[in-house]
Amino acid sequence: MGYFLQQLVNGLELGSLYALVALGYTLIYGILELLNFAHGDVFMVGAFLAAGAAAALVHNEVAAIPGGFVVVLMLLVAMGGAGVLGVAIERVAYRPLRNANRLAPLITAIGVSLLLENAVFVWVSPAPVLVPTNALVSQGIIQAGSVATPLTGLVLFAGSLALMIALDLFVFRTRFGSAMRATAQDREAATFMGIDVDRVIMVTFFLASALAGLGGVLFGLRYASVDFFMGYGLGIKAFTAAVIGGIGNIRGAMVGGLLLGVLESLSGGFISTQFQDTFVFLALIAVLLLRPQGLLGQPVTDRA
Amino acid sequence: MAQPRILVLAAIASVGMAACGGSSSAGGTPAKPDKVQIAAEGPFTGPQAVIGAGALQAIQLAVKDFNKAGGVNGTPVTLLIWDDQHTAQVAQNFQAVGISDPTVLGIVGPMNSGVVLGTAPGLQQASPPLPLVSESASAVKVSESGWSVVHRVNARDDAQGPADAKFMMDQGAKKVFVMDAKSDYSIGLADQTEKYLKDHNVSTQRESAQQGQKDFSTIVTKIKASGAEWVYFADEGPEAVFLVNEMKHQSLTIGNNIQFLGTDGEEDASIIANTQGAYAGAYATNIAADPAGLTSSAAQNYVTEFKTEYGPDSLSKAGPFYGSAYEAAQVLLQAIKNSPVKNGKISRADVLSNLGTATFNTIFGSVKFDSKGDVQGGGIYVYQAKGTQMVVVKQVSG
Repeated sequence: MGYFLQQLVNGLELGSLYALVALGYTLIYGILELLNFAHGDVFMVGAFLAAGAAAALVHNEVAAIPGGFVVVLMLLVAMGGAGVLGVAIERVAYRPLRNANRLAPLITAIGVSLLLENAVFVWVSPAPVLVPTNALVSQGIIQAGSVATPLTGLVLFAGSLALMIALDLFVFRTRFGSAMRATAQDREAATFMGIDVDRVIMVTFFLASALAGLGGVLFGLRYASVDFFMGYGLGIKAFTAAVIGGIGNIRGAMVGGLLLGVLESLSGGFISTQFQDTFVFLALIAVLLLRPQGLLGQPVTDRA
Repeated sequence: MAQPRILVLAAIASVGMAACGGSSSAGGTPAKPDKVQIAAEGPFTGPQAVIGAGALQAIQLAVKDFNKAGGVNGTPVTLLIWDDQHTAQVAQNFQAVGISDPTVLGIVGPMNSGVVLGTAPGLQQASPPLPLVSESASAVKVSESGWSVVHRVNARDDAQGPADAKFMMDQGAKKVFVMDAKSDYSIGLADQTEKYLKDHNVSTQRESAQQGQKDFSTIVTKIKASGAEWVYFADEGPEAVFLVNEMKHQSLTIGNNIQFLGTDGEEDASIIANTQGAYAGAYATNIAADPAGLTSSAAQNYVTEFKTEYGPDSLSKAGPFYGSAYEAAQVLLQAIKNSPVKNGKISRADVLSNLGTATFNTIFGSVKFDSKGDVQGGGIYVYQAKGTQMVVVKQVSG
C-alpha cells in the first residue's frame, strides 16, 4: 500500500508538469487550430533562462542574495522571457501563414522547434546545466507515513494546480477570457463583434508560453538540472496529455496531464519500466478509438 | 566550421609542395599523394553530444598534430566531419559520399555500436572497402560479424560486462538493480552484466530508462522497494544526472545506503558538479583509458596539449572518449602514412591491409589489432567520483 501511494505521488507530480505544458498546447490549438510543436522547446528555453538567472545570482561576488528572492527573479525572467519568445514565434512563424494551407504552420512549428534546440545547443551548452537548488530552496523531504517526497515536488504540484485554476478562472470569468473563447469559436464573427483578434492571439501565445516558462522554473527546482533536449520528450508527452483530455479543452489538458503522469508511474511501478511508454501510447490509441474527441472534448460537428 | 579553412590550407600547401616537389623527385624523397581525406563520425550534436563533442575535438587535434609533423609525405590530411546523430540512416548519407570518393581513406568512428552494425555492410561492399577505426563501439557483434573494415581501440561489452559484475561481487554485492537505457550498446552491456551476476548466484532486477528521461521517481521508488544494495546503470547519455538527483530526493545516498556503478558515459566528472556532489562515491567503468588518470609522459603531454588547445576547463566537458578518439585517429593516420603512394594516390585496400598487420604507436602505447579488428590486450578501467574528479581505482586487463 505504501508502495502504491508513493508511486501515485510520483505520478501526480510528474503529471502536474505534463498538465502545465499541455495547457499551452491546448490554449493555442483552441484559438488557432494550430499544433505549436515549438511549445516544448519554449518550456526548455524558460528552464534555461531560470537556470541562468539562478547561476548569475547565486554565485555573484557582490552580495549574498536570499534564495527565496532568487526564485522570484527566476520566475520573472523565465515567464517573461518565455512569454516574449512565444509572441515572437507567433509573429514570425505563424501569423504570415495564418491563411495558408494548414500544413504550412505545422512545418514552421517543427522548424522553430529545431532552431531553438540547436541554438541552445550551440550557444549555451551541449551538456546538462546545473540549477543550484541547494542554495535556493529547502532540500527537505516531506514524510507522510511511508510516502516521501521532496518539498520541491510538492511545490511543483501545488504551484501548477494553482496556476491552472487561475487560468481557468481567467478564461471563463473575465471579459478578455470571453474574447478568447469567442475567437476560438469563430475568428471572423469575433472580428465583426469588435474583438481585436490579433491581440487576443498575441496574449494567448504570451500566456501559454509564460506557463511553459513557469513549468521550466518548477522543473529546474525539482530536478536540479536542465538540458537542451528536455523540451522534446516532455513536449510529446504533454501533447499526448492534451489529446487524451480533449485538445482545445483547458480542463481536459489538466485531467489528461495528471492521468498520463499517474498511468506512467503505475505502469512503470507495477508492470515494467521497459514498457512504460508503451502503456502511455496505448492509452492514447484507446482514447482516440473510443472517444476521438478526448475525455472532456466536445464532438466536432461540421461547420456549415 | 573549420573545414573550409583546412581545405584552403590544404590547397595552398599542396600547391607549394608541388612547386618544390619537381626538383626533389629525383632525390629519392617518398612520393607525395595528391589528396588525403579522413572522416570523423559520431553524434557530435544532439542528445549524445556529451560523448561526441569531446571526441571530435580530440580527432581534430590529432589531425592537426599529424599535419604539423609533415602529414603524409608532405600532404596535409583533410578532416571531414560526419555528424551522424547516432543513427545509421544519417550515417549512410555521409558514408555514401566517402565511398564514392577514393581519396577518403578511412573513418575515425562511428562511435555508437548501433551505427557500426547498421552501416558496416555498406562500407564492406564498397570498392575498395572503406575502413573504420572506432573509439567507442563496444557491442560484441561489431567485431564478430566478419567485417574486415571494422576496427576498434576500445574494449568489448563481453569484457566489460563480466568485469563490471565481478567488481560489484568483489565489493560484496548480493542484489543488484540492473538498468539499461534502451540503446544497442546499453541493452547489450546490461545483458552481459546481468548474465554474469545470475550465473554467480547474485540476484538481479532489470529495468529500463528511456533515452533522455528526466523523471526517475518511479524507478527510484522501485530501487528502494527492491532492497538492492547496488544500482548498475549501463548508459552513454546524460541520464545519470537525473537518476542520481532523484536518488538523493528519495534518501538514497551513494556510498552510504546504496552503491552505484555506471559505465562509459558515466565516467564523467561533470556529473559530480551537476548533481551538487550527490554523485561522490559512485563508481564507473570505462572501455577506454582516461589519459588524465595515467602517468605515462605521452598521455600527460596529450592532456596538457588538449587543455592548451581548448581551454583549461575543457577536460570537464571532453566526455569519456577524448583519449580513445585521439588514439583511433593516430592509428588510422599511421596506417595511411605506411601505405604506398602510386601515381599520387593511396589505395584504401592498402590502408585496410596495413590496419590489420601493423603495430601503431599511440598516446596509450603500442596498439595492434587481432584478426577480428579488436585491439589486443584492451583493458577495462574502474573509476570513482572523488572530490571533483573521476579517479582510477582499478584496472582490469582484458
